[in-house]
Amino acid sequence: MQNKQELKSISVFIPLEKIECNLSEIGFSINGTTTIVADGKFWKKMLYIKDNERINISEEIGDAYPKDPIITICASKITISKIIDGVKKV
Amino acid sequence: MPLYECNEQQFVENIRRLIETSEKFLVNRRIIMYDDAKYGPSTLPEEEFGRYATICIRKSLKSTVFSKVPFIDEFHGRMYNENEILHGSSNLLFPRMSIPYYKVEYSINVWGGTYLLTFDAMFKPEIMIEKRSGKGLAKGTLIHVLKYDPPEERILTINLPANVMVFDVKNMIRVIDYSLRF
Repeated sequence: MQNKQELKSISVFIPLEKIECNLSEIGFSINGTTTIVADGKFWKKMLYIKDNERINISEEIGDAYPKDPIITICASKITISKIIDGVKKV
Repeated sequence: MPLYECNEQQFVENIRRLIETSEKFLVNRRIIMYDDAKYGPSTLPEEEFGRYATICIRKSLKSTVFSKVPFIDEFHGRMYNENEILHGSSNLLFPRMSIPYYKVEYSINVWGGTYLLTFDAMFKPEIMIEKRSGKGLAKGTLIHVLKYDPPEERILTINLPANVMVFDVKNMIRVIDYSLRF
């Protein structure tokens, strides 16, 4: 039986590479990227998938500082906790 | 009816709060393609402009963009010669080169207010060398061809749990609800 999916979106002040590393450790792999424009800024939007769990990361393109990627998670409660714990450790 | 703009994090978190309160709601989604010259190579950040580097050149962000080589813009059915002005940030109303995009709008209506998330998703450029004929080209001439691939829907959409209903709509017409006046 599939775990009940929950929703969570967080904005973090850690580099994208560290988030990607954390996602890779728990079995997520990248499934696609696109460029979007929101709030007058260009963002790279990435989709990560593991089974029926999906994570979107949006990071501003360019030399913007500080960078605060937005992580949107649609996954089980356990996966959401793992990601948030991983982000806190950095 | 007030309209509240949200960013991705705010919009998703608002939906999460609604799910947690067991409030009944519906998410509307509108995805429409535009090619209205809103975006062109002059205003792209360096990282994005790099995708066009085979055919275009510019000094810096927002400076005039010139063609490096002759090429065909297959999406718009146009051909450009070498050193032709393609785009400039100062004359955006009359650009020669335009990047198509999807305008994506998500909205939810709660307690008489509309909460809106909007963003534009750019089409991906794909540049290849192909044999083409016509438009002053000799038969079988090798030339750069610019194609645009639309972003895939799975990347455009916001991931929501299966129990959240998403309706696709063509347009949102705002209605004044006089019943809310006391």
